Amino acid sequence: MAEQAGSHEEWLKQLAEESKRKQESFMNGIAEKLRRPRMTAAPEHPFRGAPDFWQDFEWSLEERMDRFEGNFKAAGGHVARLADMDAAKQFIAVKADELSAKYVIRQNQPELNELGLEEALQHTGATVRVWNSDADENWKARAAESDFGVVIADYAAAYTGSVTVLSSKDKGRSVSLLPTVLFVLIPLDRLKTRLGEILRNFDAAGREQLPAGIHFISGPSRSADIENDLTIGVHGPGVVYALLIG
Amino acid sequence: MKVSLFITCLSDTIYPRVGEAMVRLLARYGIQLHFPTVQTCCGQPAFNSGYWKEARESAKTILDAFEDSDFVISPSGSCTGMIHHYPKLFEADSFMYERAVKLQRKSYEFTQFLVQVLGVKDIGAVFPHKVTYHPSCHGSRLLGIKEEPMELMRHVQGLELVPLPFAEDCCGFGGTFAVKMADISGAMVTEKVDHVLETEAEVLVGLDLACLMNIAGNLRYRNQPVKVMHLAELLYEGVKQA
Amino acid sequence: MSTAGAASTVKERADLALNDEFLRKAVKFTTERLRNGKKQASDEHGNWDDWRERGRQIRLHTIAHLDYYLNLFANQARANGVHVHFAETSAEAVKLSLEIAQRKQAKSVVKSKSMVTEELHLNHELESIGVEAIETDLGEYIIQLAGETPSHIIIPAIHKNRYQVADLLSKEAGETLAPDTSILAGFVRKKLREKFLEADIGMTGCNFAIAETGSMVLFENEGNARMVTTVPKTQITLMGMERIIPSWSDLEVMATLLPRSATGQKLTVYMSGITGPRREVDADGPDEMHIIIVDNGRSLQLGDPEFQELLNCIRCGACLNACPVYRHIGGHAYGGTYSGPIGAVLTPALNKNVAEWDDIANASSLCGACYEACPVKIPLHEMLIYLRRRKLEQGHGNAVESLGMKGFAAVMGNSKRYAGIVKLGKLGQKLVVRDGGIRLKLGPLKGWNTYRVTPSLPKKSFRDQWGTLEQELRHGLLELDPSVRSRMEGIMRDRDSGGGNGHG
Repeated sequence: MAEQAGSHEEWLKQLAEESKRKQESFMNGIAEKLRRPRMTAAPEHPFRGAPDFWQDFEWSLEERMDRFEGNFKAAGGHVARLADMDAAKQFIAVKADELSAKYVIRQNQPELNELGLEEALQHTGATVRVWNSDADENWKARAAESDFGVVIADYAAAYTGSVTVLSSKDKGRSVSLLPTVLFVLIPLDRLKTRLGEILRNFDAAGREQLPAGIHFISGPSRSADIENDLTIGVHGPGVVYALLIG
Repeated sequence: MKVSLFITCLSDTIYPRVGEAMVRLLARYGIQLHFPTVQTCCGQPAFNSGYWKEARESAKTILDAFEDSDFVISPSGSCTGMIHHYPKLFEADSFMYERAVKLQRKSYEFTQFLVQVLGVKDIGAVFPHKVTYHPSCHGSRLLGIKEEPMELMRHVQGLELVPLPFAEDCCGFGGTFAVKMADISGAMVTEKVDHVLETEAEVLVGLDLACLMNIAGNLRYRNQPVKVMHLAELLYEGVKQA
Repeated sequence: MSTAGAASTVKERADLALNDEFLRKAVKFTTERLRNGKKQASDEHGNWDDWRERGRQIRLHTIAHLDYYLNLFANQARANGVHVHFAETSAEAVKLSLEIAQRKQAKSVVKSKSMVTEELHLNHELESIGVEAIETDLGEYIIQLAGETPSHIIIPAIHKNRYQVADLLSKEAGETLAPDTSILAGFVRKKLREKFLEADIGMTGCNFAIAETGSMVLFENEGNARMVTTVPKTQITLMGMERIIPSWSDLEVMATLLPRSATGQKLTVYMSGITGPRREVDADGPDEMHIIIVDNGRSLQLGDPEFQELLNCIRCGACLNACPVYRHIGGHAYGGTYSGPIGAVLTPALNKNVAEWDDIANASSLCGACYEACPVKIPLHEMLIYLRRRKLEQGHGNAVESLGMKGFAAVMGNSKRYAGIVKLGKLGQKLVVRDGGIRLKLGPLKGWNTYRVTPSLPKKSFRDQWGTLEQELRHGLLELDPSVRSRMEGIMRDRDSGGGNGHG
């Protein structure tokens, strides 16, 4: 095993060297075709991002909530406005009862740790698992068998009705993807108007600070590939609850 | 001030009544159209098929004809649109290129000229009929002629304008396309005429004679009595009735 | 291959499609829906042309500096831990992909939608070394089971109805599935869920690659692209070298244009930005991530003033939905990986062999609906003309047509000859005109007159009448209204200072 891994590493290294050589000839070829010397300094980009008139467009919180709700529902999602985290806990517990959820998987986030979902679901007999809380577990398989996934949104955008979730050690991409039903808790201070308000954070953060996975989710998984007939829940969660909290 | 008529082949040879209607309508505003007879075809059939050398031969007659005109008016968005391609057609020859740009700036499709230049909206016509309108692709998409004909028709007394379903879809003419890809073109004109018939209009009106000839040809083939008119004809007809 | 596989020209394939009533209805139904969806979404969003222009500018800027941005992307992706590769040709891209699959001893590859892999015929190549390649986008999966190629960039199975789909999936299921969309999709969900969990490699395309952070972005609705990039241990992404945008801020513009233009959605259900393989502490995402940057004819457009803008394409499919020709003949008639107006230009452009593909360029009435629909304003209708011209310049003209065009130039280059020919036509038509029209289905009129009656030439042309008309009108001509006169003079002055009637 170890020996094979070593040869694989070596092979990758060899590929990397080839790639770097190729990269040079590739870029030189482009410059030549563009009939100018190779461009090595950042060019001025006068059209970066959305048009100017869009940059200061912002809705009031009330309007953001209304628009988010309208858009998310139009895409086939569900929205509930809840006063606090406790209400969110109750909401999920009621749904677990209703849908007879057996397995629930949640992100390992402080707000969710404090939520007490485990106790709230005790009476339903559902097991709550916490993502990546045990290094030996196959967490993808655990997420795949879960009925519910529970995550907290890092951001949300009202204009498109989208939530954004970022991956980390404690925040699996699978939790928002593999379960049948997804609950996304959205603290109101994270609800923005435009996508651009979210995206600019990734520019500001820079490469080294970015997580491996940044996912915008705008409703349940869907397809219109058969006769343009809308089908919900093709590969991702077919039922998605966005819970606006605050 | 010299305002010249760019008659276009189809109006010259098959539909002279459209040219006449334009001339008579503009005369009512004190515009004495000038008609240089050295003009032939704008060159579009050759240009669109890739024969640019041949297109230039033809285009030169247009450049010569309107060299000293102040405004050039044609009954076709497509042929006027072709003039807009002249700078590209002559890009390798700076002298001809300059002439091409000059001609482009002073060329107008008929309704553009009426509305944008003369500022006419109400031509004082009466036309008590149910009419539907096909916006030809080159005029509407490439020259942006959308509001002008609507404005003129809105002011025609008695004219009932019925929207044409999928109006902006091409009628399938496309010049040599109608010959080279006859069956696709046939399917397109058949669909267009189906939509015209859905409107139950008595008259189909448009701004481009090639498209109108195409649609009229299919209507006639199917023995459908819908009358096909260029808007200039309709307006002139309406003015005579007023 | 596709049902149209046997025919060798666009015209022949189009004839087959035109006789397939179901195909025409299906394609018409779906494209109309998508077209209306786009119209609604772009109207609702507002200022659509400003956004289009912004999208165009970002794409123009990126392509004009592609050596800088692509280089930056490659370096940043590498810094993220991605194995970046460059492939000049499809053969190189295939070789790299297969080598990775072999090194990983892969038994199966799950794929999310990628037009580049279609260009490479990668599924076939993978099968040839014994690796199962499974398309996981519902439409692509259907097409794969049918052994066909996609006939639409974003709706690959647009030409299939639910009964055909039910037959295909029933075979796979080993039981009869009802032709009900939710039952059929439910079967695919279950079936492919197993495949995702078993697969050794996930393979994706790439909608956009963000140069500054080395991230790749995928737009999708089903969640299969997320599966493919989350579950398998190895990820291979194939991206066209022109997919680059500079920053995440620029992504807002693309995210505004792409889904609205493609399906009329405000955003696809999933938009995922992936920056490198899983971090060491993460419990999902690929351990190893490869990005293969593919040229395969793209760089031929660079520095070509007539075709460079082709690289601005964001693969939304809006031009297909707007195209009246596509609506009647469907995607397979185009005979290449890409269909519709973009395919008609891109296929010959990528293949460099204009002559072989020239008949595609003829399958357009040049109506410009594609240009109007394009979210980044690519003048496809003009490029089609350039293609036709280049084919002639390279000496691949049709002898009869060339002779005809020489005649055209001879006649149209001189107004006297032109008038003479018209006179001749009036004489000649006497043989064929009946009741003021020509119905003869012979020679060049055959195709035209199969659907139409040709009008006859009137006794006098306009130029024949001009003298009389002019004389008549000269008497009693009204004075030009002074206010109109000054308006016209104003327009002429503007023109001298660069204004005038511009191209719309």
